[in-house]
Amino acid sequence: MSKPRLGIFSLTGCAGDQLQILNMEDELLDLVSRFVIVDFQEGSSYKEPGEVDIAFVEGTVSTEHDLKKLKEIRERSKVIIAFGNCAIDGCIQSMRNDQTTLAEKLQDVYGVEPGFFDALPSKPIREYVTVDLQIPGCPVEKTEVLKAVSSLLHGDLPQRYTYPVCVECKINEYPCLITEESKPCLGPIIKAGCNARCPSLGLDCIGCRGTVEGSETFAAEYKMLLDLGYTEVDIMNRLRVFSGELAAGFLGGNNNE
Amino acid sequence: MSKTITIDELTRVEGHGGIEVILEGNKVKDVKFNIFEGPRFFEHLIKTMQYDKVPDVTRRICAICTASHSLASIGAIENAFKVDSTPQTHRLRDLLIHGETIESHALHVFMLALPDFLGFPDAIHMSTAHLDAVEAALDLKKTGNMIHTALSGRDVHGMNERVGGFSKVPSEDALLEIKEQLLKVQPTTVLAVNLLSGFTLPDYNVSDNVLLALDSGAEFGYLGDHILTSDNERIPEKEYESLTNESVNRHSYAKFSSYKDRPFMVGALPRLYFNHGKLKGTAAELYNEHGGLLDFRNTISNNLAQAIELVHDVEHSVKVIDSLIDSGLENEGLVDFEVFESRGINAVEAPRGLLYHDYTFDGEGRITKSNIITPTAQNAYNIEKDTRVIAGNLADKPVDEVKHALEIMVRAYDPCISCSVHVAQIK
Repeated sequence: MSKPRLGIFSLTGCAGDQLQILNMEDELLDLVSRFVIVDFQEGSSYKEPGEVDIAFVEGTVSTEHDLKKLKEIRERSKVIIAFGNCAIDGCIQSMRNDQTTLAEKLQDVYGVEPGFFDALPSKPIREYVTVDLQIPGCPVEKTEVLKAVSSLLHGDLPQRYTYPVCVECKINEYPCLITEESKPCLGPIIKAGCNARCPSLGLDCIGCRGTVEGSETFAAEYKMLLDLGYTEVDIMNRLRVFSGELAAGFLGGNNNE
Repeated sequence: MSKTITIDELTRVEGHGGIEVILEGNKVKDVKFNIFEGPRFFEHLIKTMQYDKVPDVTRRICAICTASHSLASIGAIENAFKVDSTPQTHRLRDLLIHGETIESHALHVFMLALPDFLGFPDAIHMSTAHLDAVEAALDLKKTGNMIHTALSGRDVHGMNERVGGFSKVPSEDALLEIKEQLLKVQPTTVLAVNLLSGFTLPDYNVSDNVLLALDSGAEFGYLGDHILTSDNERIPEKEYESLTNESVNRHSYAKFSSYKDRPFMVGALPRLYFNHGKLKGTAAELYNEHGGLLDFRNTISNNLAQAIELVHDVEHSVKVIDSLIDSGLENEGLVDFEVFESRGINAVEAPRGLLYHDYTFDGEGRITKSNIITPTAQNAYNIEKDTRVIAGNLADKPVDEVKHALEIMVRAYDPCISCSVHVAQIK
């Protein structure tokens, strides 16, 4: 059987998800030997045209250039995997989409009028194309990527985390940062799969893996943090960072500054 | 007759950018270093955020320099609220930024830059002919990530370094394991210097080159509070705006940095220019042996400069680990302090050059205003200068040769295009 053709594509973002592939120092050469790598902009000058079996896409659509590239990727790819929180939920750069317009942002940071740059409001890729699978994280977890690749090579689907970080905290018997220390931890509403890394260091979860799918517990988290004495501004700033418009959407009217 | 040379998308660089040169006959009419990366508006996004959440956001400007951003961010916050961190915290931060530099330089020197000089499209193809070198490079890169993971929590976008110290101090065992690994990979750093010293530096890229870098104090390193310029100035970090002089409306970009109306370079080459006398051990020996090959008027020398820094990074990291263990690691927690209306500025040397974070806070510690200037935003104007020089010198050569030369030049800066939050392309 011929090797599957893999493309590693990136749109606007920090490029941290493809960096995680380069960070698999012990597995990298073995990993890439299982595929024909048709595109890997950060790692290689080598490119091949034609069909792509599996496309990893990281980043948000933030320019017309990104959008054109994404549509081309969709046309040539059998399976698109949204790779990391930017591609899945829009991550940091989309956190204030519903609060300020692109024109206001351009004025604030660059002091220019709209149209001066090729810029679009940052959006996750599902806003524009059909997405087949996702690997969450900011950045993605290396072990999760390896497991996902291994599943795909064997004709299976990657594991999905349907339970929150709290479960991993309990398994590890870490003290609860909410009940014991009143920290604004997002563990109750965020996808597991990181083995509760932040709580293991005594730090509250900031939500980098995105919300548990179908989660409508934003309101409960919001109310709990309000009861703990946090202000609306601080709670919303926190909920928005990795879940931008989702947070605003779930909370309906509670999306003021 | 006019001719346009276009590199649509630079590869083996971090982020998305291209180059455009317009020639009229053999004269360069215009050059553009295009950025396709969308603007991300970090200075806008962090407004109203509490100070202690800011580094978690601003570190995500860049994956390769995530710790440099978090340390610059933490430093600016600590400067604003006059926080005195402990000597142990200083040592741990010094180790963290050296770890990040090892990871970043190993990736750039071996996997992004070296394939050009050995004639391969990437390190993976290069491994067919040079498997030992590629495997050694990956092991070196891993060592940088081990430091990153032990101190910051993971290799990209960690969380453990905080305002006021480290949330959890690494164990002595973890540090000893890293030390053993550092000693194992030390020869690979020497290999990097020897490999790069063996190539003749292309001569199509020589021109006046203004240099800026942090004064690293008594020892060679990446932290400090004064900036040195090749005009023999020494400027406090809080006056950085006099050095970066951002202009918004220069031909095709927003916010190019210039110093006294001239482009300038930041990165490993300027750092060695100012601080090479502070190198110790093997790094000092290799600098004495090969430093003459560095041409400070040829930015492609930055590759060799990074290789020399790698030698320093590994030996220095061993020393820092020894001193941490000698003085006994303590889980000292975070330093207490009060917040008040204030502004704080901090500069650090990211692997690819000077980085500034500048924040203004209200009385409750929430951001009201900020400014972040990344190394690649500062280098962008200099990259255009070099583009002009190369295109002029090679105007009568075939287009592919010019393109290849331009790619080698841009790559030598180790640009981090997603990092250049200030630079964006006009439609």
